[in-house]
Amino acid sequence: MARRLAGFLVLLLVVSICEAAFLFQPISDSHRSTALELFTPDHGSFKSLEETYEALRTFQILGIEKKPDLTATACRSISETVGSSSSTAKDLFYALKANSIAECKIDKKASKGIISRLKAAVSGASSLLDFYYSVGGLVLIKDQSSEADVHLADAEGVFRSVKAFSQSDGRWRYSSNNPESSAFAAGIALETHAGIVSLASSEIDQSLISTLKNDIIKLFDSIEKYDDGALYFDDKLVDGHEYQGPVSTTSSVLRGLTAFAAVTAENLNLPGDKILGLAKFFLGIGVPGDAKDFFNQIDSLACLESNRVSIPLILSFPSTVLSLTRKDSLKVGVSTVLGSEVPSLTVKLVGAFSSGSKDASLVESQELNFDKTSGLHILNDLPKSIDVGSYTFVFEIVLHEPKHEEVYFKGSQTKVPISVTGLIKIENSEIAVLDSDLGSIESQKKLDLAGKNAISLSANHLQKLRLSFQLTTPRGRSFKPHQAFLKLRHESKVEHIFVVGNSGKQFEIVLNFLGLVEKFFYLSGKYDMELTVGDAAMENSLLVAIGHIELDLPEAPEKAPRPPPQPIDPYSRYGPKAEITHIFRAPEKRPPQELSLAFLGLTILPLLGFLIGLLRLGVNLKNFPTKPLPATFAVLFHVGIGAVLLLYVFFWVKLDLFQTLKILGFLGGILVFVGHRILSHLAAASAKLKSA
Amino acid sequence: MGKLWLICIASISILLPFLCNAFSPETPTDRRVLVLLDDFAIMSSHSLYFNALKSRGFDLEFKLADDPKIALQRYGQYLYDALILFCPSVERFGGSIDVAAIVNFVDSGHDLIVAADVNASDLIREVGTECGVDFDEDPSAMVIDHIGYAVSGTEGDHTLIASDDFIKSDVILGGKKIEAPILFRGIGHAVSPANSLVLKVLSASPSAYSANPKSKLSTPPPLTGSAISLVSIVQARNNARLLITGSLSMFSNRFFRSGVQKAGSQIKHEKSGNEQFLTEISKWIFHERGHLKAVNVKHHRVGETDEPALYRINDELEYAVEIYEWSGTSWEPYVANDVQLQFYMMSPYVLKTLSSDKKGLYSTSFKVPDVYGVFQFKVEHQKLGYTSLSLSKQIPVRPYRHNEYERFIPAAYPYYGAAFSMMAGFFIFSFAHLYSK
Repeated sequence: MARRLAGFLVLLLVVSICEAAFLFQPISDSHRSTALELFTPDHGSFKSLEETYEALRTFQILGIEKKPDLTATACRSISETVGSSSSTAKDLFYALKANSIAECKIDKKASKGIISRLKAAVSGASSLLDFYYSVGGLVLIKDQSSEADVHLADAEGVFRSVKAFSQSDGRWRYSSNNPESSAFAAGIALETHAGIVSLASSEIDQSLISTLKNDIIKLFDSIEKYDDGALYFDDKLVDGHEYQGPVSTTSSVLRGLTAFAAVTAENLNLPGDKILGLAKFFLGIGVPGDAKDFFNQIDSLACLESNRVSIPLILSFPSTVLSLTRKDSLKVGVSTVLGSEVPSLTVKLVGAFSSGSKDASLVESQELNFDKTSGLHILNDLPKSIDVGSYTFVFEIVLHEPKHEEVYFKGSQTKVPISVTGLIKIENSEIAVLDSDLGSIESQKKLDLAGKNAISLSANHLQKLRLSFQLTTPRGRSFKPHQAFLKLRHESKVEHIFVVGNSGKQFEIVLNFLGLVEKFFYLSGKYDMELTVGDAAMENSLLVAIGHIELDLPEAPEKAPRPPPQPIDPYSRYGPKAEITHIFRAPEKRPPQELSLAFLGLTILPLLGFLIGLLRLGVNLKNFPTKPLPATFAVLFHVGIGAVLLLYVFFWVKLDLFQTLKILGFLGGILVFVGHRILSHLAAASAKLKSA
Repeated sequence: MGKLWLICIASISILLPFLCNAFSPETPTDRRVLVLLDDFAIMSSHSLYFNALKSRGFDLEFKLADDPKIALQRYGQYLYDALILFCPSVERFGGSIDVAAIVNFVDSGHDLIVAADVNASDLIREVGTECGVDFDEDPSAMVIDHIGYAVSGTEGDHTLIASDDFIKSDVILGGKKIEAPILFRGIGHAVSPANSLVLKVLSASPSAYSANPKSKLSTPPPLTGSAISLVSIVQARNNARLLITGSLSMFSNRFFRSGVQKAGSQIKHEKSGNEQFLTEISKWIFHERGHLKAVNVKHHRVGETDEPALYRINDELEYAVEIYEWSGTSWEPYVANDVQLQFYMMSPYVLKTLSSDKKGLYSTSFKVPDVYGVFQFKVEHQKLGYTSLSLSKQIPVRPYRHNEYERFIPAAYPYYGAAFSMMAGFFIFSFAHLYSK
């Protein structure tokens, strides 16, 4: 439970503002545009009559022009439901509800049939919801046609049997065999009771009504509260099935309450701040994104607007951020929760407190002027005592006519957070480098913090840097901004941030570099300086680059801390890499072909010389054998030698070693045989010649 | 009856793995998302965001963060494809979920959206730390910007920031430029410079700082300037995608619908950029953009079509691959001009940008280097916002065979000439020697 509450608080923080005082805006045009978005029928019609009713009702309250086709389709499904004999009390109830807005023509005969069926349902009802639907249906018929006879004969009996479901804490049960009680059911029960009272043919016993009133008071004891004053009802989460959530539950109670207050003549004695708290709850949820929640919010606010207890008034502010420089005036609008007109009244500014302090009010109580054209209450000039900063203003509503006091509830006092902003004057800004031991000024330069600066300074680790400036508010007081930072950024993007402190009016920071060398990671070089002065109340918050300072720091000792790694730019981390092409080995350098051919020619020359020598010597073939057999061997021998040589040429041109060796072996064998024959023949011939 | 049960269980156990897997190229649709909330009211106050997701076909299941029945997996199967944590104040998750379970969920490739807020619980901060971002430790700190705030008539503390310092990436933020600034109210975080997987999508302006707006500052705030990240994303190595932000309200209907005017600017935007920004980024988170797959890797010698078992040095070869991007409904051709191929052995020998035919086919041709060994074709495509593609295929390269060298070298003609003239001389000499008288 606490968690859910905390969660809802988060939501509330989202929609309201995180201050002790809270702002609530009445229903506005954003609700209207959202309503049109949320209640869009798919394929021309809504899923159920319940949704149709919710859409029609929301459009009616918000004053949105009904689309004719929406009403037409609604009428078709209404008459279908009403005409059908199988439709349940729940269907009839929502059909009649939708009809109360759509105002379709219902067949007289059919409506008579419904009355008898609903009456039968009332007498046969056993659970709270049965009573709710059947009684509710009868009430709707009564409202729509005056002549129909819908009076309940035994109204008191029905009243008692519904009352029987009530619990001692003001909650109701859904049926007698379900022990869980809920506030949601209480709302339904109240609405049912109100219906029974209006349907009763005779007066209901006053004691019954007063016990019901007591139940209401008890129910309001269990109301839950947020920090901002919003009140709501919520059921404990028993199981997900019947749990409705705080918006539905509170809405149900409020509907029941309004219905009950409408039928009983006397006052319910509910304190107005409870009603205002409920109003705050419904306004605090902003613009719900769920159609059901949206309907509940709008319908509840409509109940609050029309209820007979009291109508809460809401202060609204077009702007709570006021500029002293532009002389903004404080404007306050007063309206009901749905943003409609209110009777003549005066808004009084009762007090103004500087937020965070509990001092006495800064202003005297004064009335705001009413501007007829805009309908706003205006305080033209902010009091002199209000300077820039954030304040809590307290307002009070005074109604002009006493009779309105009973109709409207204005709340005692409304606290509103107001921010006052203005242009802050910046003066005497200067920057200087000081000598450490003497404090004497080495170089001093004026700064123009509103414009551009390009100061260049240089310092070593024995010197100091001093930056000073003054801030004054439009009312001439000294101003302390929330953010006053001096940032030094080294070339390697290492940043150092210092808070500029103040002594009275003067803002001053002195950087003693001797004490900072370690913090600066002994990084010498150029540091860019940047000054940021900002505050929520300062209209001219600034971020200026002052210039740079050249720092000469000592060498880093071995164990000095290293600067932290700097983030890498994500764009450079990815992206295509540089292309790589392989560098192939360069082919060997070769002489030009002409040279090779020239040398080829030269290699032929010795052969030519040899041939010429042979001719000169007078070589002849006289020794060639003359006999046929040796001559054959001689021819074969030389053909063989020629073949071997030709084989070598083929080896060069195309054959490989193995092929060559094979043929060479074959040729060699023949050559040895024929060689031996011819050589031995020649040797024999020469031996014969010698011996002769 | 019993039979029916059996059939039921059997069909569920068969279907379960297909229903509840992380994003995979085979079954990219049918995605189930678990949304953990602090309060069911968030369903209504943030309905625009949820409806945008539902309309894109996501099946959202809303649960309270401390619901004792919640679980991410059952019988070793994950029940969801993604998790949305919209529960900044939860101190302990219900059921079997804890930080380790969430880390395991992400480690198995599932997506995660985390929204913290002011006063975020230690648990949510721990989840952030596991994701690689550090939220400001001061529990009441908020991001304040006195220069880049959103002008508002009712809120004067400058914690409602209008930021427009986006990451420059069409794949993350969509092709359409986000014109209006983003409304942000919440806590800032820093991304670790050592972590290369985290990216700042929305950074604060240089004048921003993270501090408690109500207390006076005496020491410099831990986070300042554009080092503050407002929205960060992570793409893990397994392509799980994470979104981390310090503001839950930036998802709310109120911020979606609200107009925005940045301080110092005259332009008043009718609607803040939140809806466009967060919807586009959710498309990225849920893999509707930037998820690549590569198919049909082919390589062959120029002029051939069959893939050889090995290449010879100095061969001319052609390489082609098809790359597609998931668009949420179908695989569309991926168009880029920076897909690169490496021919790699210990280090890239060739690195070449593939040319694209704009229909998903990327191809190139190059000459095999004159170094032999076992090479790899490598496509390592890493681009900001895209899933990383890593393809590699091994291929050996051999040197020339003995008979593949050049046979008739002109420079050697004198040698051949000398040998042949020698042979001719020998032939003639053999006649002269044997038969001369």
